[in-house]
Amino acid sequence: MTLLSARNLTVEINAVPIVDGIDLDLASGEALGIVGESGSGKTMTALALIGLTPPAATIRADTLTIAGNDVLALDPRQRRALGGSVMSMVFQDPMTGLNPVRSIGSLLIEAIRRHQTIDAARARQLGLQALADVGIPDPVARFSAYPHELSGGMRQRVMIALALVNRPALIIADEPTTALDATIQAQILELMRARMRDAALILITHDLGVAAELCGRIAVMYHGRIVEEAPVADLLARPAHPYTCGLLTAVPRFDPARPRLMPIPGAPLPASERLPGCAFAPRCPRARDICRAQVPALAEIASGRKVACHFPEAVA
Amino acid sequence: MGQWFVAPILAPLSRRLVELLVLLFCVTTLLFFLVRLAGDPAVIMAGEGASQQDVAAIRQFYGFDQPLILQYVHYLARLARLDFGQSISNGLPALRMVIERLPATLLLAIAAIAMTAAIAVPLGAWLGARAERPARRGAATLVFIAQGIPGYVVGLLLIQLFAVELGWLPSIGDETRVSWILPTLTLAAFLVPKLTRVVATSVSESMNEDYVRTAAALGLSDAAILWRHVLPNAVLAATALLGTQFAYLFSGALTTEVIFAWPGLGRLLVNSVQVLDFPVVQASVFVVGALVFAVNALTDIALRLIDPRLRRSAA
Amino acid sequence: MTTARGVLPFRLRLPLRAPWQLMAGGIIVAILVALALFSFFAPPADATRGSLLLRFRAPGTPGLLLGSDQLGRSLGSRALSGLPWSIGIASVATGIALLLGTTLGVLGAFYGGRVRAAVGLAVDTVIAFPALVLAVTVIAVIGRGFWPIAITLGLSTWPIAARVARAAALGILARDYVTAAKLLGVGPIAILLTHVLPALLPVLLVMAAFIFADMLILESALSFLGLGPPLSTPSWGNMLADSRQFLTQAPWMMLVPAGCIVVAVVGLNLLGDGLAARTQARMTGMP
Repeated sequence: MTLLSARNLTVEINAVPIVDGIDLDLASGEALGIVGESGSGKTMTALALIGLTPPAATIRADTLTIAGNDVLALDPRQRRALGGSVMSMVFQDPMTGLNPVRSIGSLLIEAIRRHQTIDAARARQLGLQALADVGIPDPVARFSAYPHELSGGMRQRVMIALALVNRPALIIADEPTTALDATIQAQILELMRARMRDAALILITHDLGVAAELCGRIAVMYHGRIVEEAPVADLLARPAHPYTCGLLTAVPRFDPARPRLMPIPGAPLPASERLPGCAFAPRCPRARDICRAQVPALAEIASGRKVACHFPEAVA
Repeated sequence: MGQWFVAPILAPLSRRLVELLVLLFCVTTLLFFLVRLAGDPAVIMAGEGASQQDVAAIRQFYGFDQPLILQYVHYLARLARLDFGQSISNGLPALRMVIERLPATLLLAIAAIAMTAAIAVPLGAWLGARAERPARRGAATLVFIAQGIPGYVVGLLLIQLFAVELGWLPSIGDETRVSWILPTLTLAAFLVPKLTRVVATSVSESMNEDYVRTAAALGLSDAAILWRHVLPNAVLAATALLGTQFAYLFSGALTTEVIFAWPGLGRLLVNSVQVLDFPVVQASVFVVGALVFAVNALTDIALRLIDPRLRRSAA
Repeated sequence: MTTARGVLPFRLRLPLRAPWQLMAGGIIVAILVALALFSFFAPPADATRGSLLLRFRAPGTPGLLLGSDQLGRSLGSRALSGLPWSIGIASVATGIALLLGTTLGVLGAFYGGRVRAAVGLAVDTVIAFPALVLAVTVIAVIGRGFWPIAITLGLSTWPIAARVARAAALGILARDYVTAAKLLGVGPIAILLTHVLPALLPVLLVMAAFIFADMLILESALSFLGLGPPLSTPSWGNMLADSRQFLTQAPWMMLVPAGCIVVAVVGLNLLGDGLAARTQARMTGMP
């Protein structure tokens, strides 16, 4: 069953398209990774889906339905109400993402009672259960604790508990482990894998490794567009877009066939700049005249695999 | 509970107590020497047209004929016993006169602080919640200009409007309940613009915090975010400001009480200063210092009780 | 196509940060200073002498643009001749507060340990005491007059300057080029003069404008309480005190000096705000 369907989703700030007409499809329970460098438009995509873009931003789409809601037709109040119930979001920085003057328990109860008409005692039970579910030891003591009394990893667990507590159908996680220590990162990834079985997941990350851990499918974004989309195994084994190839060689790994870390030369094109051709052409080792003249469309090159490149790698 | 809970709350009080002692020592010492530097205190106290005998009697009565250092030691010893002597004007014990005037000032200050909060917190929240909107920019400009109007000018304008032009409200005394309205408004006028700006800045900064985004992502309405996530932080900032600005408020009480013939400590001080009634001046200054200390200490404790980051930082 | 705007209450900074404040504030302050100088060297005669035939004239009367008081003296001229007194006292007091406050604040920032603790205690102690109570008491004892008032006001306001200067100096002292200078063996006085003071200048300018405004208010309050210049001398505070008896007959007697104070203080606040925006001075510790 289709949970999320976006056609030609565009987010503009001051007439500059930050997200430039992307298509997204997600089935219930599926996990999609959106991978890209900073400035690729991946975070703005997430904010557009949950409806938290800054006031200067304009969202347009031919279709944008989430769990049967035509979200762009909703008024702001209805749109806001989808958050926490139909979908929710886990943000990058757990240190600043929790209100310092509110106890963990009061945040949980507030989130629960916003969407469920139950009494405070029942909400407290659900909140305690939510804390236990995300592996927080001694939930009763943590319930009355304030954010500054918890470690970064614990706070991110609380953020996840808040996101999950009303059992949303879709969870959007924006770099959920980037701000954490390496050992904590692994724990949080493990937690997310264990807890998010029921819900669909959109994972926003710059780290292909993290995306590969959690997601079945990966979309690679560059300059506001999706340049490649494929099942995770295929993408890692045989990337089709030269940018994806570059990202993979930039991931450190113990692989005798790829002895060196190969950064992609050059810097990403700023969002405010437009090229007549492919946005990646200035950095692309395979760019030819047509790449600089014509934007390649995202086309299906094999079953379940799409790429936007005039000269993709052979994948068959 | 118990020790670990109480200790961090009371910790800042010792520092405040040191400040109070330093302050009282410095001010009283300053007064002691100023009085003697400015001329013969006996002549000043006797007033114009006093006879030689009167001056001599006063000099002997107050010990002004003794060596300076001896006078100073006696003076400090009497202060340590809270003995400020008698008022020169009416012979009553100076400290008792001051204490009798204290409730009127305190009640006026409390009413003014309550009114300040009642005006500034909603106004600041409204201004800060969507600071970019034109109407609120205009209102913020008005608040900025209002900050330039001294409170006692506001008081005179209020009298002109409500007591003289409209004849709705009495302009002097504290006999009836309505006679509280204008003095309270006047004293509040000293702090309303400042507090409004602090609340507005705090609110508009909080609106950009990540925790507001978290709350919005959980589906909370704008009103719920403002009331339950943003305003608690703004109230902390406002409480801290009120604590530090109490001295400023008391300066305002001086002019306010004079304008409205308010039977409080401020007017007593101004009157005593005008007739050079030094025992009463000294007792007033002493009590004002203690009052400021008490308010600052209470603010420290209140902040520690309502701000969870301070409450358990030492635990 | 459907369109939606963002719904999160993102915000902008409070307004009043554009350069127009600098312009407006600068113009108001420049005019005030020019008028003060003018009236200092050529005091208008009808400020202290009036005709009882012309008492209580409303503003707009020919020859009495801002009206007249209970003795028929021109309120405009009186407001004008009150300027040198007010501006003079505020200038001297601001100078004293800045000099003392900056010196102690920078010393407190530069030398840690006991010096910083002592400066901190002094600042917190004086700042906690109502400035007007201090000023009223001291001036009553030592007598009124230009210099006693100016010095007393300066001495009761320096902690604000010290607090801001200390915070700013701490920021400057933590910069890399100061550390580099220390490592190269530059002495403390040379560091203070060549690195700290120049970088502190914008903060001092902004602070000067705000403290000047505070001093104007305090001075007029003192006058209003009868502790300013002798009652026959025109000053804004004296004029306000006079006006209280005649609120019914001649409200303009109150409105003229009140308006002068408000315009002057708002002009100075605008100037301070504009300077702060222009120089991006960080005013940590300013109430």
